[in-house]
Amino acid sequence: MPAFYDLSGRPIGTGVAGAERKEKKNPDHGGNSLMERSSRRTVADPWFLIPIALVSFTALAYPIYVIRPFRHQGPRELAAALEVIQIRPPIELVCAICALLGLFWYWRVQPLDSRRRLAAAGAFLVCTFAVLSRVNIFEMMFHPDTHPLFVPIEQAKVDPDDMVMAVKLGGMAHAYPIRSMGYHHIINDVVGQEPIVATY
Amino acid sequence: MWTRESGGLVLTFHLAGINNQNFLMRDDQTGSYWQQITGEAVSGPLRGRRLTLVASDELSFGLWAAEEPGGTVLKSVPKYASDYEKKDWEVRMKKARTVLSFADPARGLEPRTLLLGVQAFGASRAFPYDAVIQEKLVLDRVGEEPVLLVVGPDGESVRVFRDRIPGISGHPAFYRTLDDKQSHPHDPAWLKQAVAAPLLMDEATGSEWNFQGCAVSGKETGLCLEPIEAIKDYWFDWRNYNPKTTVYVR
Repeated sequence: MPAFYDLSGRPIGTGVAGAERKEKKNPDHGGNSLMERSSRRTVADPWFLIPIALVSFTALAYPIYVIRPFRHQGPRELAAALEVIQIRPPIELVCAICALLGLFWYWRVQPLDSRRRLAAAGAFLVCTFAVLSRVNIFEMMFHPDTHPLFVPIEQAKVDPDDMVMAVKLGGMAHAYPIRSMGYHHIINDVVGQEPIVATY
Repeated sequence: MWTRESGGLVLTFHLAGINNQNFLMRDDQTGSYWQQITGEAVSGPLRGRRLTLVASDELSFGLWAAEEPGGTVLKSVPKYASDYEKKDWEVRMKKARTVLSFADPARGLEPRTLLLGVQAFGASRAFPYDAVIQEKLVLDRVGEEPVLLVVGPDGESVRVFRDRIPGISGHPAFYRTLDDKQSHPHDPAWLKQAVAAPLLMDEATGSEWNFQGCAVSGKETGLCLEPIEAIKDYWFDWRNYNPKTTVYVR
């Protein structure tokens, strides 16, 4: 019967027969396999991934929770959320590295495939959080017009009584229909060689 | 509307979040976050910096096209055009809920009351848009400085000017000379002549002024009034960022 140890090597009990059950299901490991593997230490569930996943998830989710539409943003929580966004990349990277290194170690010391898979799933989750933290969902949600094009007045499909935002720089005049701006909200533009941003 | 240069960098902005229904922009170059209404970086390496305001107008397309026949217009993105805001969206927006209120029924201010906000001369003042449209010409002050708000010949567009004429002491009174009952704001030909034609006269010199704020007849011909930047905004948003604002009441 295998003995179970925690991560520091301290015995935490015996008797969970997963290893034995597994060995019974896989009799092709040779005659002395059961004895050999039974004598190896078996470690507990991969609890070490939980704090890593929690830190990673919090860094990902807290700014989204705070900076979401139709919610009152208090000055302190907004500042905290923005600060998290700024310091998040190295945090997520460290979490992902820790998770992967932890998985590597765990894979070597844990003989049970089911627990290995559990650890792999946890590490994958942390890596997913790290990747998602690089994506700003608001930037996708509002469908930016990343390559604005301009047409002469006679080709514009705008009613005379529709409102436009208008700017004139260096002799060049651009109009931004409000109905478009109410959808895209931001246009990065260059007018008369002046880089400007029209916002609505 | 802002210049998108700061610290020697040309910045590219994205809508990256919401702060009490005023959006936050992120720049690609430094990852800093900027508040739309103030143009101030509120987080990141450029925190504390401010973008420079670019003079702009909110005009009806017909009036703008008459003023700038050589201008160009932002083209719709075909993929999204069917989802663009509908014609009556400002009416519908009046019913949309807000996360802040600042409602002031005594002054007729609901959270979604549209107004023209002016920040100038060390003060901020809100002019309810409907009141300005009805009055056609508003003579008022921002801080201690006299200003005038004038509605264009289209009956929809508004410009704000400093009520000072070089060489004339004090602040002259202006009168609207355009007969709005004879306007044809949806006729491009009429608008074309109307945008250059005078619609105001000043009491001090008897000169006539057009919607660009320039004198087109009389003693001051060729002179132009100093334009003042105004933004169209909802009351809740304006009040949130201008807690000391005063409000024009008829």
